[in-house]
Amino acid sequence: MMDSLLKVDNLVKYFPIRKGIFRRTVGWVKAVDDVSFEVYEGETLGLVGESGCGKTTTALTILRLEEPTKGQVIFDGRDIVKMKKADMRKERKNMQIIFQDPYSSLDPRMKIKDIIAEGILTHNLLNVRERYKRVGELLEKVGIPAENMDSFPHEFSGGQRQRIGIARALALEPKIIMCDEAVSALDVSIRSQIINLLKDLQKEFNLTYLFIAHDLSVIKYISDRVVVMYLGKIVEIADKKDLFTNTMHPYTQALISAVPVPNPDYKKERIILKGDVPSPANPPKGCRFHPRCSKVMKICSEIEPKLIEIKEKHFCACHLYNEK
Amino acid sequence: MIINNKEPLLEAKDLKTYFFTENGIVKAVDGVGFKVYQGEVLGLVGESGCGKSVTAFSIIRLLDYPGKTVEGEILFKGENLLRKTDAEMRKIRGKDIATIFQEPMTALNPVLTVGFQISEALLMHFKISKDEAIKKTIELLEKVGIPMPEQRINEYPHQLSGGMRQRAMIAMAMSCDPILLIADEPTTALDVTIQAQILDLMSTLLREFNGSLIMITHDLGVIAEIADRIAIMYAGKIVEYANKRTIFYNPLHPYTFALLTSIPRLDMEMKRLNVIPGIVPNPLHFPEGCKFNPRCRFMTDRCKEEEPQLIKVEEGHLVRCWNIDKVAPEVKKGLLVGV
Repeated sequence: MMDSLLKVDNLVKYFPIRKGIFRRTVGWVKAVDDVSFEVYEGETLGLVGESGCGKTTTALTILRLEEPTKGQVIFDGRDIVKMKKADMRKERKNMQIIFQDPYSSLDPRMKIKDIIAEGILTHNLLNVRERYKRVGELLEKVGIPAENMDSFPHEFSGGQRQRIGIARALALEPKIIMCDEAVSALDVSIRSQIINLLKDLQKEFNLTYLFIAHDLSVIKYISDRVVVMYLGKIVEIADKKDLFTNTMHPYTQALISAVPVPNPDYKKERIILKGDVPSPANPPKGCRFHPRCSKVMKICSEIEPKLIEIKEKHFCACHLYNEK
Repeated sequence: MIINNKEPLLEAKDLKTYFFTENGIVKAVDGVGFKVYQGEVLGLVGESGCGKSVTAFSIIRLLDYPGKTVEGEILFKGENLLRKTDAEMRKIRGKDIATIFQEPMTALNPVLTVGFQISEALLMHFKISKDEAIKKTIELLEKVGIPMPEQRINEYPHQLSGGMRQRAMIAMAMSCDPILLIADEPTTALDVTIQAQILDLMSTLLREFNGSLIMITHDLGVIAEIADRIAIMYAGKIVEYANKRTIFYNPLHPYTFALLTSIPRLDMEMKRLNVIPGIVPNPLHFPEGCKFNPRCRFMTDRCKEEEPQLIKVEEGHLVRCWNIDKVAPEVKKGLLVGV
């Protein structure tokens, strides 16, 4: 058994809905609702789901870029939810994030060497000369010539900017990196470059990734284990192989069947889900997936299924598997 | 279904659309030609900036300044669309040729109700009364799977979800029984389960009205599902043109091959993704010779000097490459291994 580096326990994040001139809270958007999972050291945990399922909020809440409403986040043996702001800031040295949009995530008025060195400067780790030497090394690592460090972000293409974002995340030698849709905005030919780069860096620095994506093909390629979320809840956790060959939850089944495969002869039965994802401000009672589920039973609209271990290391939240 | 022994419904011949910018001429579409037959789906595939959307806009003549189609012919039912007056074009657009765009939020007018926007096209192209138009609109919305269409016609685009909006767009495109539909990345902004719904709906409708579709996308998965024939575009030119099975099983252009092996796939285990080195070239400074040569692993001296023509290697399979003989065996090997 590998050691768990990050343990998320009953994490909850609600956003208030305010209305009227007094901005009274009239309801809550239940973005992340009682989510628990572990990330082991050195692995890539894929977090997959459709827009609005709470996958990004989960990552932001773990980093405390959004304060969690409830729950525990144990990182490296300590509960970071209880930490003071200053301690948390120190701890973030070990937890970094790569964002989706390589255009808005880099300050257009900073030189890329300063963007990458900002973390080192904040944590007061190296003096000026060492700092820029390190920036040069990092740039070479991600495949950008070090002599370009005096350039500004607009001088780079989307793929190169994403490389700069990766260099920034690596600068503090973090233990875990959250990749929030890090390759989603990139063109096909650039995407494979970045995916391979992330894999190489993981091997070299023994990094742990929480890899958030909506694209199941990418998730299948890069992850060791996969967490599937739907409307703020985890519906299934399994080893990658198990998840794709032994899919349990009806939602995961539909999700996998919906992915267009670049193979004209690939035969599969497509499960077409009816309707849209309901609003997280007013999720359905019982199982949140039940209004769209093809295998819905009476109990599904009444009682919310718990995430339980159906077989070894394969968790699923569905009444279909609860009978035994 | 591919039927060869007929006149094409639409034929683009040596289409050239340039953008005359302050920094120079951008040759966004540079000599593109293809045929679309009745009942067939043509896929235009390529990465951003390859000219696939500009091709679509050139066909329906919706280019904005500084873009201009400088050369070529677009024969629709035998008539050249580039010679039509604006008034004549307006009669064709929305009626015979309809379009679906990527972002339904920007393609729909936010201050008009969905019902108004759909019935507007009906009123323009048919001699019917307002009541009849509204009745037809409700039928259309029902057909594309929008629940409670009587209420929905009075709603504004922002009140609909992304998938619903795209359905409304499809209803609008279908409203005047077009014979050619141009869909520009119609599912790219949608979630996978919604994408599956929309693709399913589009194939059903296509079968029903036996029309043709030009599907523009960067997603090879979507193309594998819906297209009959595929044109792979790179830097404003078609680099390979063939039927679907040939493109996926016997591609001959290094770019097609590289694309196919650089995507993670659900249907096979991949050890390492193939990488196309470098970046898509800046359209202001395209490389000399073959536009793909700086990123191509089969590159020879000739590729740097002379641009290859799109040549026929077998019936219905066109490739723009100097080194087909060298590429073919490599492709066979590469596709089998998965990388």
